[in-house]
Amino acid sequence: MKSKVSALMDGELDQQEVLNIFEAITKNEDLQEGWETYHLIGDTLRQSSRLSMNISSSVSQKLKAEPTILSPNISNIEKKLKRKLYAFSVAASLIAMVSAWLVMQNLHEPQQIIVAEQPNHSNNLTISPVVVSSPQSIHHYPHPPIEINDYLFVHREFSPGVTMRGQVTNVNSVTEYHESYGR
Amino acid sequence: MISRKTTALFLLLTFCFQATFAQELPRSSESALDWLKKMADAPRRHNFSGTFVYYGDSHIETSRIVHKVDKISERERIEVLDGAPRIVFRNNDEMKCYLPESKRIYTEKRWFRKFFPDILPQPFDNVIDENYYVKETRLERVTDHLCQVLSLTPRDSLRYGHQFWIDVETGLLLKAAVVNGSEIIEQFAFALLEIDGEIHPDLLKPNLSMVQEGWKVTDLITSFLNEGELKWQVMNLPAGFRKLVEMKRNLAEKTTLVDHITLSDGLAAVSVFIEPVTKDMSASLPGFFTSRGAINIYVRILDDIKITTVGEVPLETIKLIGDSVIKKD
Repeated sequence: MKSKVSALMDGELDQQEVLNIFEAITKNEDLQEGWETYHLIGDTLRQSSRLSMNISSSVSQKLKAEPTILSPNISNIEKKLKRKLYAFSVAASLIAMVSAWLVMQNLHEPQQIIVAEQPNHSNNLTISPVVVSSPQSIHHYPHPPIEINDYLFVHREFSPGVTMRGQVTNVNSVTEYHESYGR
Repeated sequence: MISRKTTALFLLLTFCFQATFAQELPRSSESALDWLKKMADAPRRHNFSGTFVYYGDSHIETSRIVHKVDKISERERIEVLDGAPRIVFRNNDEMKCYLPESKRIYTEKRWFRKFFPDILPQPFDNVIDENYYVKETRLERVTDHLCQVLSLTPRDSLRYGHQFWIDVETGLLLKAAVVNGSEIIEQFAFALLEIDGEIHPDLLKPNLSMVQEGWKVTDLITSFLNEGELKWQVMNLPAGFRKLVEMKRNLAEKTTLVDHITLSDGLAAVSVFIEPVTKDMSASLPGFFTSRGAINIYVRILDDIKITTVGEVPLETIKLIGDSVIKKD
Protein backbone atom coordinates (compact mmCIF):
# COMPACT_ATOMS: atom_id res chain seq x y z
CA MET A 1 0.00 0.00 0.00
CA LYS A 2 2.86 2.38 0.81
CA SER A 3 4.19 1.97 -2.72
CA LYS A 4 0.78 3.22 -3.91
CA VAL A 5 1.19 6.34 -1.78
CA SER A 6 4.52 6.94 -3.48
CA ALA A 7 2.95 6.32 -6.89
CA LEU A 8 0.17 8.80 -6.03
CA MET A 9 2.77 11.47 -5.25
CA ASP A 10 4.48 10.83 -8.57
CA GLY A 11 1.13 11.16 -10.33
CA GLU A 12 1.27 7.62 -11.66
CA LEU A 13 -2.19 6.43 -10.54
CA ASP A 14 -5.46 6.54 -12.46
CA GLN A 15 -8.52 8.31 -11.11
CA GLN A 16 -10.21 5.30 -9.45
CA GLU A 17 -7.01 4.27 -7.72
CA VAL A 18 -6.46 7.83 -6.54
CA LEU A 19 -9.85 7.87 -4.85
CA ASN A 20 -9.18 4.49 -3.24
CA ILE A 21 -5.81 5.46 -1.88
CA PHE A 22 -7.11 8.77 -0.55
CA GLU A 23 -9.73 6.95 1.41
CA ALA A 24 -7.19 4.48 2.72
CA ILE A 25 -4.89 7.31 3.82
CA THR A 26 -7.62 9.08 5.78
CA LYS A 27 -8.39 5.87 7.65
CA ASN A 28 -4.93 4.42 8.13
CA GLU A 29 -2.54 6.34 10.40
CA ASP A 30 0.45 4.40 9.11
CA LEU A 31 -0.23 5.51 5.57
CA GLN A 32 -0.75 9.09 6.73
CA GLU A 33 2.67 9.03 8.30
CA GLY A 34 4.10 7.62 5.08
CA TRP A 35 2.40 10.39 3.08
CA GLU A 36 4.00 13.03 5.31
CA THR A 37 7.42 11.34 5.22
CA TYR A 38 7.40 11.17 1.42
CA HIS A 39 6.62 14.87 1.25
CA LEU A 40 9.40 15.65 3.66
CA ILE A 41 11.82 13.59 1.52
CA GLY A 42 10.60 15.35 -1.61
CA ASP A 43 11.03 18.78 -0.05
CA THR A 44 14.51 17.95 1.14
CA LEU A 45 15.56 16.66 -2.27
CA ARG A 46 14.22 19.80 -3.91
CA GLN A 47 16.05 21.80 -1.26
CA SER A 48 12.85 23.61 -0.50
CA SER A 49 13.15 26.27 2.17
CA ARG A 50 9.88 25.13 3.73
CA LEU A 51 9.85 21.55 4.85
CA SER A 52 6.40 20.08 5.33
CA MET A 53 7.00 18.80 8.81
CA ASN A 54 4.27 18.44 11.35
CA ILE A 55 5.73 19.73 14.58
CA SER A 56 2.54 20.85 16.33
CA SER A 57 2.22 17.70 18.47
CA SER A 58 5.82 17.77 19.68
CA VAL A 59 5.60 21.48 20.45
CA SER A 60 2.46 21.13 22.51
CA GLN A 61 4.06 18.19 24.31
CA LYS A 62 7.02 20.37 25.23
CA LEU A 63 4.74 23.15 26.43
CA LYS A 64 2.92 20.73 28.68
CA ALA A 65 6.19 19.51 30.18
CA GLU A 66 7.41 23.08 30.86
CA PRO A 67 7.41 23.90 34.62
CA THR A 68 5.49 26.96 35.82
CA ILE A 69 7.80 29.57 37.37
CA LEU A 70 6.52 31.46 40.37
CA SER A 71 8.85 34.41 41.07
CA PRO A 72 8.70 37.03 43.86
CA ASN A 73 8.84 40.81 43.26
CA ILE A 74 12.26 42.21 42.45
CA SER A 75 13.66 44.28 45.30
CA ASN A 76 15.02 47.80 44.84
CA ILE A 77 18.67 46.79 45.21
CA GLU A 78 18.32 44.16 42.56
CA LYS A 79 16.69 46.71 40.28
CA LYS A 80 19.70 49.04 40.65
CA LEU A 81 22.06 46.20 39.95
CA LYS A 82 20.04 45.29 36.92
CA ARG A 83 20.17 48.83 35.58
CA LYS A 84 23.93 48.87 35.98
CA LEU A 85 24.22 45.56 34.26
CA TYR A 86 21.97 46.85 31.52
CA ALA A 87 24.19 49.89 30.99
CA PHE A 88 27.24 47.66 30.74
CA SER A 89 25.61 45.38 28.26
CA VAL A 90 24.53 48.34 26.11
CA ALA A 91 28.10 49.60 26.11
CA ALA A 92 29.41 46.14 25.25
CA SER A 93 27.04 45.65 22.37
CA LEU A 94 27.84 49.12 21.10
CA ILE A 95 31.51 48.19 21.02
CA ALA A 96 30.68 44.93 19.32
CA MET A 97 28.65 46.74 16.68
CA VAL A 98 31.32 49.32 15.99
CA SER A 99 34.03 46.67 15.83
CA ALA A 100 31.91 44.56 13.52
CA TRP A 101 31.41 47.59 11.33
CA LEU A 102 35.15 48.15 11.26
CA VAL A 103 35.73 44.55 10.28
CA MET A 104 33.14 44.83 7.55
CA GLN A 105 34.78 48.03 6.32
CA ASN A 106 38.02 46.15 6.02
CA LEU A 107 36.53 43.04 4.49
CA HIS A 108 34.34 44.81 2.00
CA GLU A 109 36.95 46.94 0.37
CA PRO A 110 39.01 44.48 -1.63
CA GLN A 111 38.70 46.80 -4.63
CA GLN A 112 40.48 49.57 -2.89
CA ILE A 113 43.95 49.86 -4.27
CA ILE A 114 46.66 49.50 -1.73
CA VAL A 115 49.87 50.89 -3.00
CA ALA A 116 53.14 49.34 -1.96
CA GLU A 117 55.83 51.61 -0.72
CA GLN A 118 58.30 52.28 -3.46
CA PRO A 119 61.71 53.22 -2.15
CA ASN A 120 62.99 54.28 -5.58
CA HIS A 121 59.88 56.01 -6.71
CA SER A 122 60.99 59.46 -7.73
CA ASN A 123 57.88 60.34 -9.63
CA ASN A 124 56.48 63.22 -7.68
CA LEU A 125 55.32 65.40 -10.52
CA THR A 126 51.93 66.87 -9.99
CA ILE A 127 50.52 66.43 -13.48
CA SER A 128 47.65 64.02 -13.33
CA PRO A 129 46.20 62.24 -16.34
CA VAL A 130 43.12 63.90 -17.77
CA VAL A 131 40.35 61.44 -18.33
CA VAL A 132 38.59 62.78 -21.36
CA SER A 133 36.31 59.88 -21.85
CA SER A 134 35.92 57.47 -19.07
CA PRO A 135 33.71 54.65 -20.22
CA GLN A 136 30.35 55.30 -18.66
CA SER A 137 28.86 52.04 -19.67
CA ILE A 138 30.13 48.75 -20.89
CA HIS A 139 29.67 48.10 -24.55
CA HIS A 140 28.46 44.73 -25.52
CA TYR A 141 30.08 43.86 -28.77
CA PRO A 142 28.17 41.11 -30.50
CA HIS A 143 31.58 40.03 -31.73
CA PRO A 144 34.55 41.41 -29.87
CA PRO A 145 36.71 43.53 -32.16
CA ILE A 146 39.09 41.35 -34.09
CA GLU A 147 41.84 43.91 -33.86
CA ILE A 148 42.13 43.26 -30.13
CA ASN A 149 43.67 39.95 -31.09
CA ASP A 150 46.41 41.79 -32.95
CA TYR A 151 47.27 43.65 -29.78
CA LEU A 152 47.22 40.41 -27.83
CA PHE A 153 49.72 38.91 -30.24
CA VAL A 154 52.05 41.82 -30.20
CA HIS A 155 51.80 41.94 -26.43
CA ARG A 156 52.45 38.26 -25.87
CA GLU A 157 54.61 37.84 -28.94
CA PHE A 158 52.97 34.70 -30.16
CA SER A 159 53.59 32.89 -26.94
CA PRO A 160 51.46 29.84 -26.17
CA GLY A 161 48.14 30.53 -24.55
CA VAL A 162 46.97 33.10 -27.10
CA THR A 163 44.77 31.83 -29.88
CA MET A 164 45.27 32.76 -33.49
CA ARG A 165 43.80 35.57 -35.48
CA GLY A 166 40.25 34.80 -36.52
CA GLN A 167 39.53 32.85 -33.37
CA VAL A 168 38.12 35.72 -31.42
CA THR A 169 36.25 33.76 -28.83
CA ASN A 170 38.88 34.41 -26.24
CA VAL A 171 38.01 38.08 -25.81
CA ASN A 172 34.99 38.95 -23.70
CA SER A 173 33.69 42.31 -22.73
CA VAL A 174 33.51 42.75 -19.02
CA THR A 175 30.13 43.47 -17.53
CA GLU A 176 30.66 43.07 -13.83
CA TYR A 177 33.57 45.44 -13.70
CA HIS A 178 31.76 48.74 -13.56
CA GLU A 179 29.49 47.68 -10.81
CA SER A 180 32.48 47.09 -8.61
CA TYR A 181 34.67 49.80 -10.02
CA GLY A 182 32.07 52.54 -10.01
CA ARG A 183 31.74 52.49 -6.27
CA MET B 1 32.64 56.31 34.82
CA ILE B 2 31.07 53.87 32.48
CA SER B 3 31.58 56.11 29.50
CA ARG B 4 35.31 56.45 30.18
CA LYS B 5 35.70 52.71 30.48
CA THR B 6 33.68 52.20 27.35
CA THR B 7 35.79 54.67 25.43
CA ALA B 8 38.98 52.97 26.55
CA LEU B 9 37.67 49.55 25.62
CA PHE B 10 36.41 50.84 22.31
CA LEU B 11 39.78 52.37 21.45
CA LEU B 12 41.57 49.19 22.42
CA LEU B 13 39.31 47.07 20.24
CA THR B 14 39.59 49.44 17.30
CA PHE B 15 43.36 49.35 17.56
CA CYS B 16 43.35 45.55 17.66
CA PHE B 17 41.22 45.25 14.55
CA GLN B 18 43.17 47.82 12.60
CA ALA B 19 46.42 46.11 13.52
CA THR B 20 45.09 42.76 12.34
CA PHE B 21 43.99 44.05 8.98
CA ALA B 22 46.84 46.32 8.12
CA GLN B 23 49.63 43.80 8.45
CA GLU B 24 52.57 44.38 6.16
CA LEU B 25 54.48 41.67 4.40
CA PRO B 26 58.12 41.34 5.43
CA ARG B 27 61.08 41.51 3.04
CA SER B 28 61.67 38.29 1.13
CA SER B 29 64.35 36.03 2.53
CA GLU B 30 67.76 35.81 0.84
CA SER B 31 67.34 32.11 0.16
CA ALA B 32 64.00 32.64 -1.58
CA LEU B 33 65.53 35.35 -3.79
CA ASP B 34 68.47 33.03 -4.50
CA TRP B 35 66.00 30.51 -5.88
CA LEU B 36 64.64 33.17 -8.21
CA LYS B 37 68.15 34.05 -9.32
CA LYS B 38 68.92 30.39 -10.00
CA MET B 39 65.68 30.15 -11.96
CA ALA B 40 66.53 33.27 -14.01
CA ASP B 41 69.97 31.89 -14.92
CA ALA B 42 68.90 28.32 -15.69
CA PRO B 43 67.84 28.82 -19.36
CA ARG B 44 71.33 30.27 -20.02
CA ARG B 45 72.97 27.17 -18.54
CA HIS B 46 70.94 24.19 -19.68
CA ASN B 47 69.64 22.60 -22.82
CA PHE B 48 66.19 21.15 -22.58
CA SER B 49 63.43 19.73 -24.70
CA GLY B 50 59.93 18.65 -23.89
CA THR B 51 56.24 19.32 -23.98
CA PHE B 52 54.39 21.78 -21.82
CA VAL B 53 50.76 22.51 -21.27
CA TYR B 54 49.02 25.84 -20.88
CA TYR B 55 45.80 25.87 -18.88
CA GLY B 56 43.57 28.92 -18.51
CA ASP B 57 39.81 29.47 -18.45
CA SER B 58 39.21 25.73 -18.85
CA HIS B 59 41.22 25.79 -22.07
CA ILE B 60 44.21 23.53 -22.58
CA GLU B 61 46.95 24.06 -25.14
CA THR B 62 50.00 21.88 -25.62
CA SER B 63 53.32 23.12 -26.98
CA ARG B 64 56.61 21.46 -27.81
CA ILE B 65 59.82 23.22 -26.89
CA VAL B 66 63.46 22.71 -27.84
CA HIS B 67 66.02 24.95 -26.18
CA LYS B 68 69.74 24.94 -26.94
CA VAL B 69 72.33 27.15 -25.42
CA ASP B 70 76.06 27.49 -25.97
CA LYS B 71 78.73 30.10 -25.41
CA ILE B 72 77.59 32.39 -28.19
CA SER B 73 73.92 31.90 -28.63
CA GLU B 74 70.63 30.77 -27.25
CA ARG B 75 68.23 29.17 -29.69
CA GLU B 76 64.74 27.94 -29.19
CA ARG B 77 61.83 26.48 -31.08
CA ILE B 78 58.32 26.49 -29.63
CA GLU B 79 55.56 24.80 -31.56
CA VAL B 80 51.93 25.09 -30.54
CA LEU B 81 50.43 21.65 -31.10
CA ASP B 82 46.71 22.38 -30.65
CA GLY B 83 44.51 24.32 -33.04
CA ALA B 84 46.07 26.34 -35.83
CA PRO B 85 49.79 25.47 -36.09
CA ARG B 86 52.20 28.12 -34.93
CA ILE B 87 55.95 27.72 -34.74
CA VAL B 88 58.17 30.30 -33.11
CA PHE B 89 61.93 30.27 -33.67
CA ARG B 90 64.14 32.34 -31.50
CA ASN B 91 67.78 33.10 -32.06
CA ASN B 92 69.02 35.21 -29.18
CA ASP B 93 66.84 38.32 -29.45
CA GLU B 94 65.45 37.62 -32.88
CA MET B 95 62.05 36.03 -33.23
CA LYS B 96 60.34 34.46 -36.23
CA CYS B 97 56.82 33.12 -36.03
CA TYR B 98 55.60 30.81 -38.82
CA LEU B 99 51.90 30.35 -39.44
CA PRO B 100 51.70 27.52 -41.99
CA GLU B 101 47.94 27.77 -42.55
CA SER B 102 48.01 31.36 -43.74
CA LYS B 103 51.61 31.12 -45.04
CA ARG B 104 52.69 34.08 -43.00
CA ILE B 105 55.87 34.84 -41.14
CA TYR B 106 56.03 37.49 -38.46
CA THR B 107 59.47 38.66 -37.49
CA GLU B 108 60.73 40.66 -34.59
CA LYS B 109 64.28 41.95 -34.35
CA ARG B 110 64.51 42.59 -30.67
CA TRP B 111 62.65 40.16 -28.53
CA PHE B 112 62.21 41.35 -25.00
CA ARG B 113 59.07 39.58 -23.99
CA LYS B 114 59.49 36.77 -21.51
CA PHE B 115 57.48 33.64 -21.39
CA PHE B 116 57.36 30.17 -19.99
CA PRO B 117 59.71 28.66 -18.94
CA ASP B 118 61.99 31.71 -19.21
CA ILE B 119 59.89 34.38 -17.53
CA LEU B 120 62.26 36.39 -15.35
CA PRO B 121 64.01 39.54 -16.52
CA GLN B 122 67.64 39.24 -17.51
CA PRO B 123 69.83 40.37 -15.81
CA PHE B 124 67.89 39.49 -12.71
CA ASP B 125 67.58 42.20 -10.09
CA ASN B 126 65.72 42.28 -6.85
CA VAL B 127 62.97 44.57 -8.17
CA ILE B 128 60.59 41.65 -7.74
CA ASP B 129 61.03 41.87 -3.98
CA GLU B 130 59.67 45.43 -4.07
CA ASN B 131 56.38 44.23 -5.50
CA TYR B 132 56.09 40.63 -4.32
CA TYR B 133 56.80 38.76 -1.13
CA VAL B 134 58.76 35.69 -2.20
CA LYS B 135 58.60 32.66 0.05
CA GLU B 136 59.76 29.05 -0.12
CA THR B 137 56.74 26.92 0.64
CA ARG B 138 57.36 23.22 0.04
CA LEU B 139 59.05 20.57 -2.07
CA GLU B 140 56.98 18.89 -4.76
CA ARG B 141 57.60 16.49 -7.63
CA VAL B 142 56.82 17.71 -11.16
CA THR B 143 57.47 15.55 -14.27
CA ASP B 144 59.70 13.32 -12.21
CA HIS B 145 61.85 16.18 -10.95
CA LEU B 146 61.98 17.33 -7.37
CA CYS B 147 60.95 20.98 -7.28
CA GLN B 148 61.16 23.79 -4.78
CA VAL B 149 57.85 25.61 -4.72
CA LEU B 150 58.01 29.40 -4.35
CA SER B 151 55.02 31.59 -3.70
CA LEU B 152 55.07 35.24 -4.76
CA THR B 153 52.43 37.20 -2.91
CA PRO B 154 51.75 40.68 -4.28
CA ARG B 155 52.45 43.46 -1.81
CA ASP B 156 49.44 45.41 -3.06
CA SER B 157 46.29 44.79 -5.09
CA LEU B 158 47.81 46.06 -8.32
CA ARG B 159 49.06 42.67 -9.46
CA TYR B 160 48.37 38.98 -9.36
CA GLY B 161 50.25 36.42 -7.28
CA HIS B 162 52.47 33.71 -8.71
CA GLN B 163 53.67 30.26 -7.84
CA PHE B 164 56.82 28.71 -9.27
CA TRP B 165 57.95 25.09 -9.21
CA ILE B 166 61.72 25.21 -9.65
CA ASP B 167 63.81 22.13 -10.40
CA VAL B 168 66.07 21.72 -7.37
CA GLU B 169 68.98 20.41 -9.46
CA THR B 170 69.06 22.78 -12.44
CA GLY B 171 66.88 25.71 -11.40
CA LEU B 172 64.64 25.37 -14.45
CA LEU B 173 61.05 26.46 -14.06
CA LEU B 174 58.90 23.36 -14.54
CA LYS B 175 55.51 24.70 -13.55
CA ALA B 176 54.10 28.20 -13.03
CA ALA B 177 50.72 29.46 -11.88
CA VAL B 178 49.20 32.93 -11.82
CA VAL B 179 46.85 33.32 -8.88
CA ASN B 180 44.27 35.86 -7.77
CA GLY B 181 43.95 35.28 -4.04
CA SER B 182 43.41 31.56 -3.81
CA GLU B 183 42.05 31.20 -7.33
CA ILE B 184 44.36 29.95 -10.08
CA ILE B 185 43.95 32.05 -13.23
CA GLU B 186 46.39 30.34 -15.54
CA GLN B 187 49.06 27.69 -15.42
CA PHE B 188 51.97 26.42 -17.45
CA ALA B 189 53.46 23.02 -16.69
CA PHE B 190 55.84 20.60 -18.32
CA ALA B 191 54.30 17.25 -19.10
CA LEU B 192 57.48 15.77 -20.54
CA LEU B 193 61.00 17.06 -20.11
CA GLU B 194 64.57 16.12 -20.86
CA ILE B 195 67.25 18.34 -19.39
CA ASP B 196 70.79 18.55 -20.80
CA GLY B 197 70.11 16.03 -23.54
CA GLU B 198 71.66 16.18 -27.01
CA ILE B 199 69.77 18.56 -29.32
CA HIS B 200 70.12 18.12 -33.06
CA PRO B 201 70.68 21.48 -34.81
CA ASP B 202 68.04 20.59 -37.42
CA LEU B 203 65.36 20.82 -34.76
CA LEU B 204 66.08 24.52 -34.50
CA LYS B 205 65.63 25.26 -38.19
CA PRO B 206 62.40 25.71 -40.12
CA ASN B 207 61.23 22.67 -42.09
CA LEU B 208 61.82 22.65 -45.83
CA SER B 209 58.13 23.27 -46.44
CA MET B 210 58.41 26.53 -44.54
CA VAL B 211 61.20 28.00 -46.59
CA GLN B 212 59.33 27.84 -49.88
CA GLU B 213 58.34 30.89 -51.83
CA GLY B 214 55.01 32.54 -51.41
CA TRP B 215 55.08 33.15 -47.68
CA LYS B 216 54.27 36.67 -46.66
CA VAL B 217 56.75 38.18 -44.24
CA THR B 218 55.67 40.95 -41.87
CA ASP B 219 58.22 42.73 -39.76
CA LEU B 220 56.41 43.64 -36.58
CA ILE B 221 58.85 46.20 -35.43
CA THR B 222 59.73 49.30 -37.30
CA SER B 223 61.77 51.38 -34.96
CA PHE B 224 62.74 51.62 -31.37
CA LEU B 225 62.62 55.11 -30.02
CA ASN B 226 64.71 56.96 -27.53
CA GLU B 227 63.19 58.07 -24.31
CA GLY B 228 60.74 60.89 -24.95
CA GLU B 229 60.52 60.57 -28.72
CA LEU B 230 56.88 59.60 -28.66
CA LYS B 231 54.23 62.28 -28.45
CA TRP B 232 52.76 60.50 -25.44
CA GLN B 233 53.96 59.74 -22.04
CA VAL B 234 52.78 57.67 -19.15
CA MET B 235 52.61 59.81 -16.04
CA ASN B 236 52.04 58.74 -12.46
CA LEU B 237 52.27 55.06 -13.21
CA PRO B 238 50.89 52.68 -10.61
CA ALA B 239 53.50 51.76 -8.01
CA GLY B 240 56.14 49.30 -9.09
CA PHE B 241 55.63 49.60 -12.84
CA ARG B 242 58.47 50.83 -15.00
CA LYS B 243 58.67 51.68 -18.64
CA LEU B 244 60.77 49.15 -20.55
CA VAL B 245 60.74 50.51 -24.05
CA GLU B 246 58.95 52.79 -26.53
CA MET B 247 58.58 51.88 -30.17
CA LYS B 248 56.58 52.23 -33.33
CA ARG B 249 54.84 49.07 -34.39
CA ASN B 250 53.74 47.79 -37.70
CA LEU B 251 50.60 45.93 -36.74
CA ALA B 252 49.15 43.50 -39.22
CA GLU B 253 46.65 45.09 -41.59
CA LYS B 254 46.99 48.60 -40.30
CA THR B 255 47.95 51.41 -42.60
CA THR B 256 49.36 53.66 -39.91
CA LEU B 257 52.04 52.80 -37.42
CA VAL B 258 50.98 52.19 -33.87
CA ASP B 259 52.91 53.61 -30.93
CA HIS B 260 53.70 50.94 -28.40
CA ILE B 261 54.94 51.48 -24.86
CA THR B 262 55.79 48.45 -22.74
CA LEU B 263 55.86 48.40 -18.98
CA SER B 264 56.72 45.80 -16.38
CA ASP B 265 56.87 45.32 -12.64
CA GLY B 266 59.56 42.66 -13.00
CA LEU B 267 57.06 39.91 -13.65
CA ALA B 268 53.80 41.20 -15.06
CA ALA B 269 53.97 42.92 -18.45
CA VAL B 270 51.65 45.64 -19.75
CA SER B 271 51.53 47.05 -23.29
CA VAL B 272 50.03 50.41 -24.21
CA PHE B 273 49.10 50.91 -27.86
CA ILE B 274 48.33 54.41 -29.10
CA GLU B 275 46.98 55.22 -32.54
CA PRO B 276 44.84 57.86 -34.23
CA VAL B 277 41.13 57.16 -34.44
CA THR B 278 40.17 56.46 -38.02
CA LYS B 279 36.70 56.78 -39.50
CA ASP B 280 36.38 53.14 -40.38
CA MET B 281 37.43 52.03 -36.94
CA SER B 282 34.50 49.88 -35.94
CA ALA B 283 35.83 49.05 -32.53
CA SER B 284 36.78 52.46 -31.29
CA LEU B 285 34.26 52.37 -28.49
CA PRO B 286 35.90 52.42 -25.10
CA GLY B 287 35.45 49.55 -22.72
CA PHE B 288 37.00 46.79 -20.70
CA PHE B 289 37.67 43.30 -21.93
CA THR B 290 39.10 40.14 -20.54
CA SER B 291 40.96 37.59 -22.52
CA ARG B 292 42.06 34.11 -21.71
CA GLY B 293 43.86 33.61 -18.43
CA ALA B 294 45.28 36.63 -16.69
CA ILE B 295 45.02 39.13 -19.57
CA ASN B 296 42.84 42.22 -19.27
CA ILE B 297 42.25 44.90 -21.88
CA TYR B 298 41.13 48.51 -21.63
CA VAL B 299 40.23 50.66 -24.64
CA ARG B 300 39.99 54.40 -24.16
CA ILE B 301 39.57 57.41 -26.41
CA LEU B 302 41.50 60.61 -25.72
CA ASP B 303 40.67 63.42 -28.15
CA ASP B 304 41.33 61.83 -31.51
CA ILE B 305 43.48 58.94 -30.39
CA LYS B 306 42.69 55.47 -29.22
CA ILE B 307 44.61 53.98 -26.32
CA THR B 308 44.52 50.23 -25.88
CA THR B 309 46.11 48.80 -22.76
CA VAL B 310 46.77 45.06 -22.55
CA GLY B 311 48.41 43.15 -19.73
CA GLU B 312 48.47 40.35 -17.22
CA VAL B 313 47.29 42.55 -14.36
CA PRO B 314 43.93 43.15 -12.64
CA LEU B 315 41.39 45.44 -14.31
CA GLU B 316 42.01 48.23 -11.78
CA THR B 317 45.67 48.33 -12.74
CA ILE B 318 44.91 48.22 -16.46
CA LYS B 319 42.63 51.22 -15.99
CA LEU B 320 45.22 53.15 -13.96
CA ILE B 321 47.87 52.55 -16.62
CA GLY B 322 45.54 53.31 -19.52
CA ASP B 323 44.43 56.53 -17.85
CA SER B 324 47.99 57.60 -17.14
CA VAL B 325 48.73 58.24 -20.83
CA ILE B 326 48.90 61.94 -21.60
CA LYS B 327 49.78 63.98 -24.63
CA LYS B 328 53.08 65.76 -24.39
CA ASP B 329 52.97 69.52 -24.90
